[in-house]
Formats: sequence, C-alpha cells, structure tokens
Amino acid sequence: MDWQAINVTLRLAAITTAVLLVISVPLSALLVLNRARWLAALEALTSLPLVLPPTVLGFFLLVLLGPRTAVGRALIGVIGHPLAFSFSGLVVGSVIYSLPFAVQSLVAGFASIEPVLIDAARLLGAGPVRLVFTLFLPLARRSLLAAAVLTFLHTVGEFGVVLMLGGDIPGATRTLSILLYDQVESFDYAAANRTAGLLLVLSLAALAAIYAGSRSRGGRNA
Amino acid sequence: MSRDRSILPWRSSLLALLGLILCAAATAQTPLRIAAAADLEPVLPPLLDEFQQATGIHAEATYQASAALTTQIENGAPFDVFLAADVSYPQRLIGEHQAQGPADAAEPLVYAHGTLVLWTRTDAALPPPSLKLLRSPALRRLAIANPDRAPYGRAAVAALTSLKLYDALKPRLVTAGNIAQAAQYVDSGNADAGLISLTSALTPRLKSAGTYFVIPRNLYPPIEQGAVLVARSQQQAAAKRFLDFLLSHPIQAQLAKSGLSPAK
Repeated sequence: MDWQAINVTLRLAAITTAVLLVISVPLSALLVLNRARWLAALEALTSLPLVLPPTVLGFFLLVLLGPRTAVGRALIGVIGHPLAFSFSGLVVGSVIYSLPFAVQSLVAGFASIEPVLIDAARLLGAGPVRLVFTLFLPLARRSLLAAAVLTFLHTVGEFGVVLMLGGDIPGATRTLSILLYDQVESFDYAAANRTAGLLLVLSLAALAAIYAGSRSRGGRNA
Repeated sequence: MSRDRSILPWRSSLLALLGLILCAAATAQTPLRIAAAADLEPVLPPLLDEFQQATGIHAEATYQASAALTTQIENGAPFDVFLAADVSYPQRLIGEHQAQGPADAAEPLVYAHGTLVLWTRTDAALPPPSLKLLRSPALRRLAIANPDRAPYGRAAVAALTSLKLYDALKPRLVTAGNIAQAAQYVDSGNADAGLISLTSALTPRLKSAGTYFVIPRNLYPPIEQGAVLVARSQQQAAAKRFLDFLLSHPIQAQLAKSGLSPAK
C-alpha cells in the first residue's frame, strides 16, 4: 500500500477544506445578506468550476500559474518557483475546483434561516460578523458540516486538475486518484482494486462516523 | 367513417417516414473506426482524407493513450484498427485473441518508428537543447511522459539511464500522463525542457515556439509503433486496405515529414 499517496491525499483534502471554509463562510454570508443585483454575477462565478471539465480547468491553471502570464510571474516572484508541480499548486487548484460545493451548501443553509431572526438580531445591533458567528453558524451547522464533508471528499476524488497541474511527483503531487489511474493504465488491476477498496472503506467509515456524531448531538437544522 | 379516413393518410405517411429512416440507416456506410495513439493526433487527419480520396472508404480516428485504447478494445469498443505507439499493447491484444496482425496473425505490423527529442522554448533562459543541457544545473524541471505506460516515457528513461543521468535528474523530473501533455508542460513554461516526440515538436505551434535536439538513437531501444486488426471488426477487408495504404511509399514519406520515420 502506498502510504505516501494516502498521506498526500489526506493532507491535500484537509488543507483545502480548511482554506475553503475560511473563504466560503464570509462569501456565502455576503451572498445571503446582501441583496444587491451585481452579487448575482458573483454567485454565478462561484459555480463556474462545475461547468469546465476538470482537465481543462487544470490546463488553464497550468498556463495561468506558469511563467508566461503576469499572474504567474508575480507568484513566482513571491514564492521563488512555479506553483505547478508542487503541493501548494494543488491546494490552489483544489480550492478553485471545490469552491461551488462549499458555497452552494452554505448559501442553502444560511438562506433557510428565518428572516425574522436575522431582523431581530440586526435590531439588537448585531453587525454582519456577529450575525455570522452567533446566528448563521450555530443554526446552519449541518450545512457547515455538509460543506466540509463535500469539499473533503471532492478533493480526495479529484483527478483531472491534479493530473494536469501535478506532474505525478511521489510525496508531493501523486495523490491516490493519480496512483489509481497509473495502476489501471499499467493493467495492474489487483493493486488498483486494493487502492480503490481502501479508499472506499476509509471514506465510508469516516462519513458514517461524522453523520453518527451529528445525529447524536441532534444537529439537524430547524 | 370520415374520421377514419382523415387518420389513414397520417398513418401511411408516418409509416413511409419510418421506412425511409430505416432504409437510410441500413445503407449509410459505417465508417472505418481507428483507435490511434495520442502521438498520431497531429499526423493522421490529412492521411484519413487521402485514404478516403483513394479508396472511397471513410475513416474516423479516436486519439487516446495506447493503454486506455487497449483497455477499451478488451472491453468491446467498436474499433476496426488499432494504431498503437509501441508493439507491447498490440501484442497484449493478440495474446488475448482480441486482435491479429495483417500479415502474420501473431505479430503486430510495425508501421513507423518514433523519434525522441529534447525540446525547449526559445524564450527560456537556457542554452539551446543538446545533451549538454541535460547535464546543466540550469535545467530545473524536465518533463517526460509516464514511463510505466507511455512508450516515449520509457524511451526517455532509457536514454537518461544510458547517459548515466537518470539518478541525478530523477528529483527534477515531472511526469505527464502522455507525450502531448509532456509537451504542454514545457510549452506553458512550467518545465524548462521536455523529452517529447518529434511529432509534437514538428506541430506548427511547437515549431514556432521552440527548438529541438534529436536524441541519438543508440541511447534508447527503438520506439516501434505497431498496428493490429481488431478481431471483432466487421470490416476486416477495409481495415487491411488501410494498413496497406499506411505502408505505401508516399504515405511513409509523409509520415517521415511529420516526425515518424519509416517502418523499414
């Protein structure tokens, strides 16, 4: 069993989930609280990664982050090497790729909170930050959990973006899904079955544990 | 009664339409379906047009990595001819009775030899490509195709091993899924240089963006590209004609111009 690939995959999924929650909680709160028209464009933009085939998205990122664009050159100036073929490059790719999954779940959760409650909190002088921490997150904790779980799983199963952006480097960018693909393509079906089996069992166990925990705490949204 | 009469023409015209569709479907020629290795993508399309002009047979190609095409043929993909990037994949299919060679049923037909080149962009701050460049510390990332499944990747590793550079360069290698993607890694500027196919290096885009150095042929085992007829195919005769066409003198000369050296 390739523990290195498992390690890369879990680290990538955990970091991506953390980064995405930090980005998408304020973003989703903004989309729900502010009714300005132009935000519809922003909301549409957050869903766009769903439209592009992942390998194409990966190709665009490869070009964008490379030394032939201004953005890429600026990034290389800051960190000293191209983001492609590095673990941090994969984090950037995964955050963009999984953004819709986090934002969609959170927007749905936040939007289902009674407007009366939000108005009452505002009347009592709560600003947007306080609204998010004392009202949105506690009431929509099931959506928060859903956002985290979906992002994590989506990143574990991510393939196209990693294939294009990663360069298949053991210990840095060879994730489980790339390893599985390599095994299938070299007709090593026995190893592929073992890797896929482990991935499915681990994910099932983790998901069951998470959902059992949220049930016992009665964590369903009102 | 009058109602019945008004329906009748409807029915008969519908039936007629259905009949027409069925006839059209029966007479429409199913194209000759070719499963082609990814390195043929810049090479094959004009040849298919010439084949249709010469024989009247319409052929369509699907481009994929040889390994993926092999799996698809094993699982019943409706291809008639398989043009692989090496001989191991066609041999695997022959061993499974899924395909046969056109002359000797047990041997794939070698239709061309691939050429490995070292390619860099002209705007990269590097000396022009040569064997010396492979030894230079300025070379920070070298793109190759996956040696486990891409014949050009295997050739790249063999060449680096013959040069006794493989261990030194290993930490600087980035591995692409196939040879076209290895070229993209260099073309997008993310890798400094790449060991890619001459067919990629001769495409208009890469030709204008960079320069290449032909890796000496004694450094790697020949990249023999093999073809087989798919056993399940209903168009064996047309498929054979296509392979004869591919081996004909003018076509082999055209292949040489696009980076595939002649089979013999």
